[in-house]
Amino acid sequence: MTARRRDPRAERAARVVPTGGPRLRLALTASDSAAPASGRPRRDPRARRADATVQTAPRLRLDWSGKALAAPATTSAAAVSPAVAGRGVRAVAEPVLRVIDAPACLVFAVLDRADGALSALDRQVMAAARLLADALDGAVVALAPDGPEDWGPEDWGALGADRVLPMPAAWAQEHAPEARAAAVGAAMARWSPVHVVFPESQDGGDVARRVAAVVGERLFAGVESLSAQCVARRAGGGSRELSCAPPRLLSIAADAVAPLGPLRHEARPLDPVAVACAPRLGAARRLPVDPDGVGLGEADFILSAGNGVTDWAAFADLGRALGATRAGSRVVCDAGHLPRDRQVGASGMVVSARSYLAFGIAGAPQHLQGIGGVGHVIAINTDLHAAMIKRADLAIIADAQAVMPALIRLMRERTHG
Amino acid sequence: MVDVAVLLSVGRHPVSGRARRAPTDARALELALSLPPGRRTALHAGSPDSPALRDYLGMGLAELTVLAMAEGRDPTDALLARLRALSPAPSILLTGNRAEGGEDSGMLPYSLAHALGWAIVPDVVALTLNDDGSAELVQALARGQRRALRVAMPFVVTIHPAAPAPRPSAFGPARRGRITVEAVDAPEDTALAACAVRPWRDRPKRLTVGAPGGGSGGALDRLRAATEAKAGQGRLLVGPTPDEAARAIYDCLQEQGMLPR
Amino acid sequence: MIAAALSTVTLTVLLVGLGLALVQARRWRAGRSAKVGVWAGLAALPARYLVDVHEVVGRTPFNARFHALTAGGFLASLALSVALALPPLRHPLLWGLLALTLAVMLAGGMMVGYRRRVLRPAELSGGRFSRLPLALTGFSAAFLLVALDQSAGGILPVWLVLTLVAVGGWGLAELVFGVWNGPLKHAVHGALHLAFHPRPARFHDGAGRDTGLRPLDLAQADAPLGAGQAVDFAWNRLLGFDACVQCGRCESACPAYAAGLPLNPKKLVQDLVLSLDDGSDDRAYAGHGHPGRPVGAAVTGPTRPLVGADALIHPDTLWACTTCRACVQECPMMIEHVDAVVDLRRFQTLERGATPVKAAGVLEELRATDTPSGRALDRRLDWAVDLRLPVLAAGETCDTLLWLGDGAFDLRNQRSLRALVLLLRRAGVEFAVLGAAELDCGDVARRLGDEATFQDLARRNIQTLEARRFRRIVTADPHAFHCLRNEYPALGGRWTVQHHSAVLLELLTSGALTVTRPLDGPVAYHDPCYLGRYNGEIDAPRAVLDAIGAQRREMERSGLRSRCCGGGGGAPLTDVVGERRIPDMRMDDARATGAPTLAVGCPTCTLMLEGVVEPRPQVAELAELVLTATEPTP
Ligand SMILES: Cc1cc2nc3c(=O)[nH]c(=O)nc-3n(C[C@H](O)[C@H](O)[C@H](O)COP(=O)(O)OP(=O)(O)OC[C@H]3O[C@@H](n4cnc5c(N)ncnc54)[C@H](O)[C@@H]3O)c2cc1C
Ligand code: SF4
Ligand code: SF4
Repeated sequence: MTARRRDPRAERAARVVPTGGPRLRLALTASDSAAPASGRPRRDPRARRADATVQTAPRLRLDWSGKALAAPATTSAAAVSPAVAGRGVRAVAEPVLRVIDAPACLVFAVLDRADGALSALDRQVMAAARLLADALDGAVVALAPDGPEDWGPEDWGALGADRVLPMPAAWAQEHAPEARAAAVGAAMARWSPVHVVFPESQDGGDVARRVAAVVGERLFAGVESLSAQCVARRAGGGSRELSCAPPRLLSIAADAVAPLGPLRHEARPLDPVAVACAPRLGAARRLPVDPDGVGLGEADFILSAGNGVTDWAAFADLGRALGATRAGSRVVCDAGHLPRDRQVGASGMVVSARSYLAFGIAGAPQHLQGIGGVGHVIAINTDLHAAMIKRADLAIIADAQAVMPALIRLMRERTHG
Repeated sequence: MVDVAVLLSVGRHPVSGRARRAPTDARALELALSLPPGRRTALHAGSPDSPALRDYLGMGLAELTVLAMAEGRDPTDALLARLRALSPAPSILLTGNRAEGGEDSGMLPYSLAHALGWAIVPDVVALTLNDDGSAELVQALARGQRRALRVAMPFVVTIHPAAPAPRPSAFGPARRGRITVEAVDAPEDTALAACAVRPWRDRPKRLTVGAPGGGSGGALDRLRAATEAKAGQGRLLVGPTPDEAARAIYDCLQEQGMLPR
Repeated sequence: MIAAALSTVTLTVLLVGLGLALVQARRWRAGRSAKVGVWAGLAALPARYLVDVHEVVGRTPFNARFHALTAGGFLASLALSVALALPPLRHPLLWGLLALTLAVMLAGGMMVGYRRRVLRPAELSGGRFSRLPLALTGFSAAFLLVALDQSAGGILPVWLVLTLVAVGGWGLAELVFGVWNGPLKHAVHGALHLAFHPRPARFHDGAGRDTGLRPLDLAQADAPLGAGQAVDFAWNRLLGFDACVQCGRCESACPAYAAGLPLNPKKLVQDLVLSLDDGSDDRAYAGHGHPGRPVGAAVTGPTRPLVGADALIHPDTLWACTTCRACVQECPMMIEHVDAVVDLRRFQTLERGATPVKAAGVLEELRATDTPSGRALDRRLDWAVDLRLPVLAAGETCDTLLWLGDGAFDLRNQRSLRALVLLLRRAGVEFAVLGAAELDCGDVARRLGDEATFQDLARRNIQTLEARRFRRIVTADPHAFHCLRNEYPALGGRWTVQHHSAVLLELLTSGALTVTRPLDGPVAYHDPCYLGRYNGEIDAPRAVLDAIGAQRREMERSGLRSRCCGGGGGAPLTDVVGERRIPDMRMDDARATGAPTLAVGCPTCTLMLEGVVEPRPQVAELAELVLTATEPTP
């Protein structure tokens, strides 16, 4: 550990500038750069530019195949760390703790943390906040529901959080957009962040807009490309690109920013802010959704049958075992094996599931037109030359009637055993 | 009786770029038209000349009020003033969850809700009114999931693409419907003016991306994606035993994150 | 005395009948006005009956015969019976003549009885029609006996003869009052319909064929948009429906009915007839209904909505029609079913916005992109980048303008278009395409009732075409062929338009294409409705197949009586559920020929028939077959 233990509260108290208003302000930049009280070494501007270049050129690592897994980013966080200065980029495996004691400013990262889990988008929001903060010598404050038990400062630190502002743990489970927005608003009033970064997820985007409405500022929503100098998003029905210098409030579209590899930041906890909020949305509850009741257009995982399926009992069992939404080709819907609204294709539904598992479907053009937006296709067919086999990401030449029971067995083993 | 106001914007077809009904706004109007009887106020802020406005009238809307303003103006204040002037005040304000053609930030309903002091619920797919002046709303979540909520009137609701499809627009009613134009003074949208604008160019996503989500870029994109040769990329297993096949499928699904762990 | 009684009875019955017919006429006169050449129509009536109606009726010679006997005998005997009112004419010779005509009619009446009682074709309606043979034979037999008796000088006791006159009078009343609301209604209404037909050009005294839909007047803000209620139809259309004899020929020809879709054209016409009665229902209808649809649920009325879930015509019935015209082709009463279907659809689409979901989506894409599938116009030539098709710009000239159609966006049809392009090149035809300037022809919009979108597309296409010079337009798409050739003229676009089958035949016979590898195998040919029935072109494709050495096999139902593939009229979009699919039935016809190849001349037929699950004959487009057969030998 290169960091001394310190008292964050005392330090913050020392930085508070009286503003004469209800808002607290933290004195940061000027005094910081003039007198490096924390003993931080002066930074090499070129190294900083290099950092920025790596981070702001997201187009360097392109993934055309859509298959490669995102490699952990070898960011240059270490380069600004005193411990490694002059030694170049260190192995990612053991990042060195980076402490930003007297940040020039603060950047908020407001995370969803839905159901207590950190989503990929949450991580990307952290990366975006990190990028903006580093360009300004600022610190990243993660705002997220607290908990769970086994999640501690190291975990926040590994995501690049210099500070953590915990919100009530219950908000991870409850639907509390109004309270979340009020909390963010209160924190903004108290700490005057230069940027507040939200995830452009459904609930995160909701909170972002609520905050924007309350503070009366514009939200730059759904950022698709981000650098320290410029953010850009789609507008005009997808026809135009709007870009400007990073504004105060912005939300990040999914997969626009690469998540950072393991970092080590201090993740110093900040005092929770008190929130007064009388929520008007009530009685929120998840509605139970039967996979077969999900509209095909919305379904995420589709198990689909064609004329090559004869064992309909096994097909139904398999659907249940996988928790997948069942669908079929026109032939099987015509034959009454599945209802008409379960037909995939040109004259049925156009689907955009992430996974499409197809048993005994030939892959007629009218059928393929329905699965153009599908992420990943697995096809089981006895005919090596079926068009569906060509379309598939995983193609298996086998009898559907034999594979379905085997897969059911395997599912049962894995879930019960 | 429930009085409902609907905000309608002009959409843009992704392939041709032509003006059309904005898909979620049309769904908002559909919902408004299928609610119990009452006054329906439809408002559009922008140019009164867009042919797409007639498409909304073609859904059976008798009248549409246009707050006429040039492009690049901020419609918030004008809409707010117009909504406040409605008497009696509507108890529900409906709109799509995202316009297509302007800034498309989805901020407007929030700004209005805040200024009116009303509750706001985004991404709604269904709305039922209770007798006590509240409503049960159903929100669409990712992957076909649904969340129910209760909220007291008045409130603002934005409509999700998964809401019931709008009825088609018919020529006769579109021709007969009335467009009332009110010229308003709207300030320049300074935030928008501060942005650089250029045509969007698609760039590849940086990461392995999952489902592209509901909205797809029109039939052409679908066809292209459906027919583009993918040969050589997929993995092929010829004649495995059923158990080998099952394991391959299982592993693949696991890798895709489709199976409960 | 007997003569006076007979003529009085006859005259009275006829006069009452005339009165009733006039009352009846009020029903169809409630329709909208129509431009009709009354005198010309009346003048053309006899010839239309003898030529055009007989062509249709003559397809079943037995029916033609009994019609001639019954109707001829009946009309002659009526004239003679009336003549008997004049005392000087009451001559045994006249009685003998009357006996002869009645004998002829009796023979016809017995044939009718044989057909209804013994043959019992399933498509015939029962109900009041069942009493027809009895009335025919009753009238003719009773009067025959009277006439024979009188010509022989009156052997029978007077009371018996008077009783016979009374019996004959009953039979006559049965027949003549039928003009009001019974079987013989068709005789009078059929005749008037022939005279005042809404498409006089379809008869032999006109062009002989008239299949283009009539444009709606959209400029007039209060002009009606199709038919929502019975009185929205023009009076001569209502007259036409009223002429229906419920013979069921349309029912036997209808592909939708055969596939168990909820559409029976005969019932559809009867629905329109019944709707003229206020506050009744369709329980009295005694024929086959719309498959799977109940009768008796809806109330009729000339100003009630015709189409709706609770109305006389269920939306599924309306949208099941493929507009194939098989019913029109068969109807002896010259009823125009497709016009009626499209009129009803126009109202549903233009006024109610009640087009079925998928179809409505296509119309919306069409309005936004000018293509039914929402493609970008500038991608119409994507499949042919390597072919470097010359694009005809405004102001330029070429010999042949190739209209590509929507097939250019479809992988399968691109194959046949490519074959056609290569053939034109091989034959040295100077041709060009419109490229991005070609919009959808509007066929599907029009058949779905979206006249506004059709006219918009048509006007812009006409403008584009008018700005260029060419000798002829050639297309491989019969739907575009029909629109450009038969429907654009009403909007001001007139050119020579040819289907590629005619052009290929021309090139083969002129020697521009030489057959090097004759096909040498059995090939079945499917006539596309929009080429055959709509345009009468059934010979050129066959001649092409013969020229390339195919052993042509005819399918059950071919030529002008071909069965639809199920692809017309937007039916693949409205996708109404039946017991089976129309293309499956058509493929069965092809299988029955044993030919391994089914030749088609239409992109829609290609898709529909290739959509049939294998094993089945391979589907090949004419151009593809010709391309292989004329491959230059090295
Ligand atoms: C206008 C139109 C619209 C259409 N719209 C649609 C649409 O929306 N959706 C749609 O699906 N179709 C549509 N079709 C139909 C389409 O053309 C095909 O006919 C249909 O998709 C074929 O379905 P299938 O693959 O299930 O059957 P088949 O073509 O019969 O294929 C069955 C497949 O199963 C394989 N098989 C057989 N036995 C086994 C076994 N034991 N194990 C594994 N595999 C086996 C075979 O090798 C074959 O590849 C449309 C057609 C038309 C003309
Ligand atoms: S419509 Fe024509 S073919 Fe059909 S039953 Fe009536 S008369 Fe016969
Ligand atoms: S046009 Fe064809 S499908 Fe339509 S009713 Fe007539 S026969 Fe039937």
